[in-house]
Amino acid sequence: MRNPRTGWLLLSPTLIILIVFGFLPFLYVLFVGFHEWNIFAAQDGMRYNGLDNFRRLVFDVDFLNSVGLTAKFALFAIASEVVLGFFLAQMLTRNFPGKSLFRIIHTFPLMVAPIAVGAIWRLLVIPGFGPVPFLLDRWFDIEYLIGTYPDQALLTSVIMDVWHWTPFVTLTMLAGLSSIPKEPVEQAKVDGANRFQVFWYVTLPFLRPVLLTTIFIRIMDAIRTVDEVWMLAGGGPGTRFTGIYIWRVVFPRTDYGYGSSISIITLYLTIVLCWLLFIGISGQGKDEVE
Amino acid sequence: MEERPDNSKRDGFLPFYTNAFDRVFISAVILIGIHLLWLRFMEPALPIEVATVISLVIGYYVVRRG
Repeated sequence: MRNPRTGWLLLSPTLIILIVFGFLPFLYVLFVGFHEWNIFAAQDGMRYNGLDNFRRLVFDVDFLNSVGLTAKFALFAIASEVVLGFFLAQMLTRNFPGKSLFRIIHTFPLMVAPIAVGAIWRLLVIPGFGPVPFLLDRWFDIEYLIGTYPDQALLTSVIMDVWHWTPFVTLTMLAGLSSIPKEPVEQAKVDGANRFQVFWYVTLPFLRPVLLTTIFIRIMDAIRTVDEVWMLAGGGPGTRFTGIYIWRVVFPRTDYGYGSSISIITLYLTIVLCWLLFIGISGQGKDEVE
Repeated sequence: MEERPDNSKRDGFLPFYTNAFDRVFISAVILIGIHLLWLRFMEPALPIEVATVISLVIGYYVVRRG
């Protein structure tokens, strides 16, 4: 088993799948990103246009707005999910009546397909039909129209995402909390640390890898959110996220070249964001390592 | 908690220890970033080739000294 050839042989199926279904499509999208390709255009097929797609992209107000909106959505959704997920995980480490039932019900949203989540929330918030606008109007005199007010649409998208994905964060946090050894926590308590100090200096450093992985997964998911938000608001004001913008460029407008260049830049922004977070949270800095 | 990085990682001018792949990755990130910013803000004044030269110089410096 120590023979490197055996190792490569065992790895080869995974590598082949990764190359065929991951790397080659990426190269193709990169290639298309440097071309003008619209099936309804006058000329047939692709035409190399250098950096023109990227030149268009950096001045495209709709795209830049969609990036800002996606960042806002990701920030609010992920921050809420991490805080809520942590508290729920803390709660689930203790015993209370009905804990098993709560655990099952709490993980239900994870089993629902994103498109169905969007449909459920659409039915809840649709004006003149859903209970949410009706009750908000009746109890608080709030006009709740997600198709008219962008802030309401964004807030509803965030709440929907939190409802859908907090159970995932809870489960990963629960796994992280369960793996923390008891001794350091008890030692800290014996030394007179209060609950916040135990959390900040003992629990959080142990949770760091889990927290990092969870945030990475959620960032990548939040940036490529399309289906549930599309189902909820149909890409209306306040929900024109980058994923929805790419979909609009590629499918209804059939502008494959420009859509590919936006996809590449979205991937670039995701990678840079995750890398900066990794450096910031993982303690890779020299000050923290030494 | 933290482990000192392995010997393949270098202590250069960057604020963290890096291996060769990290430095090439950082150079690529800088190259793309400079080109996008150049297209947005500098292209009317200076051609994009200047951005390529600048980012290659920075990339070389990061790979050698980072």
